[in-house]
This record gives sequence, structure tokens and C-alpha cells, in this order.
Amino acid sequence: MHLDAQPCMQTGVNNDVVVAATATLDYDAELMLRVKEGDSASFATLLEKHRGSVIHFVYRLVQEQAIAEELSQEVFLRVYRSRSGYEPTAKFRTWLFRIATHLALNWLRDERHERGQERLDDISADLPVRQVSDRRPSVEQQMVGEVKVQEIRRAIAGLPEKQRAAVLMHKYEEMEYSQIAKVLDCSESAVKSLLFRAYETLRARLAHMVAA
Amino acid sequence: MNCPIESRNPEMLVDHANGKLDLATARGLKQHLAGCSACQEVVVRQAAIWRALDTWEAAPISPDFDRRLYRRIDEEVNSSWWERAMRPFRTMPLRHALPLTATAGLLLMAGVLLQNPGHVAPATPHNELVRANQVERTLDDLDLLRQFSAADSAESTHHDAM
Repeated sequence: MHLDAQPCMQTGVNNDVVVAATATLDYDAELMLRVKEGDSASFATLLEKHRGSVIHFVYRLVQEQAIAEELSQEVFLRVYRSRSGYEPTAKFRTWLFRIATHLALNWLRDERHERGQERLDDISADLPVRQVSDRRPSVEQQMVGEVKVQEIRRAIAGLPEKQRAAVLMHKYEEMEYSQIAKVLDCSESAVKSLLFRAYETLRARLAHMVAA
Repeated sequence: MNCPIESRNPEMLVDHANGKLDLATARGLKQHLAGCSACQEVVVRQAAIWRALDTWEAAPISPDFDRRLYRRIDEEVNSSWWERAMRPFRTMPLRHALPLTATAGLLLMAGVLLQNPGHVAPATPHNELVRANQVERTLDDLDLLRQFSAADSAESTHHDAM
């Protein structure tokens, strides 16, 4: 969990956590400024700290691990390339996710253009329960779990791009509305509206699963 | 939608279901939920979705991720200025590259034409003489070809007659 991703304004988290979050933010920016000065160890620290969240976020957006890693490499490569002109005007993590979102959504647009909805169809094609061939209970449970995850993946993949990115940042990266707004380059109220509509769609699409 | 919360501040229900609402607001909302079945349903279903989303775990990261990244960084550091200049075009999809190339080509042509408007050699007596000579030579060549052709057909007629 990232301290700077805590929704402090809404949860009423105590001041110590807020201070710690600010310190974390400043530390990231400070590290990036050290990278600017040529300190490669600081880049390694930033990579170590944000690698997981960036890859997982991109993976959930594009839903292909190899592509997610490739795009995440490009994210960190761009961070490295930008080191000489870096100015800590925004939170480092917001900037990082802005790059990641931009790259992932561009990839999705190109992919969709080239292959239509083939990929999504592939995912849905994997869904039928006939895949459950092993009759041992534990494996069955495992398979049912996998089917459930596939349904969630498909429901999220079916959301419009911005809604999808917003849900992933909100749910899995625990970002505040203001941070998501900066990443998506829209207003905070627009993000709230995006998220409500996205969750509304998910509630409808996954209703059968949730009720079970 | 008659409920003021559902119509004006629906994200509050989502935040409450996700446990992201501050205590004071959550307390007030709980009182409202006790008398509003529509909002109650949204909160219950949203909480269930929130839990369901937890089941989707991200795949493990390749152990050589950092090694690959640092190799790319090294390549980048050691690359020439030309490679660095061409970098944005390397990853560009064909559907973006083609229109850009066509536009660049058109702009280049337009630039050349604007630099040299109507770049036609002026007619000088020398040019006219050269042109007249060329025409004359071409007519001679055509005449020669005609003669060859006539001789060839005469020969074939002679062979046929024999």
C-alpha cells in the first residue's frame, strides 16, 4: 500500500499519516531530482518502489502480462529519458501513472483498431464452464474461481477506456479522486461521475455473480 | 430517482460501501440508509462488487524485468543522435506513419515548388537549335526504321514466293 495513495480527505485519516504521505511524495520527487543529477541508485529506488503498481495497473488495463511488462518498461524508460527536464510540479506517482495510462490506452486503441474486438472475444470464449474437466473439488473450486476472475476481467474490459482506468486506479491503486483527475486530465467531479457510472455498469454486469 | 443522495451525491454511496467515507459522514449516511431502501441496495451491491474485485490478483512480474529495462537504458545511453531522433517513429503504428509520411512528402514537394516556381529553362537560340536537332534526329531514326521494316517485309514475300 502506498501512503501517498491514501484517500486522506475522505477517510479522516489522522495527521501523522498525512504528514507521512507528504513525506513520501517529497521523497519520490527528491529521488527524481537526484536522478536528474545523474544518481542512478535513486532511479533504482524509484523503480523498486513503483514497479509493481505500474505493471499491475497496466496489466489490468491491457490484460496481457507480456504487453503490460513491455509497456511498463516504456513507462520507466520515459521517466529516465525525462530526467534532464524533470521539474517536481506534480506528484511523482501521478506523473508516473499519467505516462502509464497514456501508453496503455494508446496500445488498446491501436490493438482495437488492428484486431477489432477479437481479444475481448477471446477472453469471453475462455469462459464456458465446459473447461472444468477435473472433478476433484479443490480443482473445481479453483476453476470456478478462475471463471469468476475471467468474468470480472471481461466486465472491466467492457468498460469505456477512461472508466476502466479510473476504476483500476480507484480500486487497486487506492488513489484519491484528485489524483485520478490529474492522471486522466479531467475535473474531480468528472472522475466521481466516471466512477459511479463504471461501478453501476459493473454492478449490473456482475449481479448474477455477486448474488451467488 | 427521488432520493436526494442517489440523485445528487451518488458517489457517497460508493465511498461508503468501499469503506472510504469519513466517520462523521458515514454516521449521517447510515441514518439515511435506515429509511431508504434504494440507497441501501446500492450500498449492498457495491460492497459485494468491491469484494469481488479483490479476487482479481495481478500476475507475477518476470524476474528479469529490471535486467531488460537496464539493458534498454544502456542501449539508449549508447545510441547515436540519429537513433535518438528516429526513436518516436520506431514504435509508431503503420496507420499513423503512412499519413505522416504522405503529408511530409507533400510538404517537401510544395516547398521545392515554392522555392523554384515554374523552373523551366528559358528559351534561348541555343536551346531552340538543340531541340531542332533532336527532332531532326528522331525523324531520321523513324525513317531508318521504316526502311528496315520495308526491306524485311520484301524479303519475307520473296521467301514465300519461292
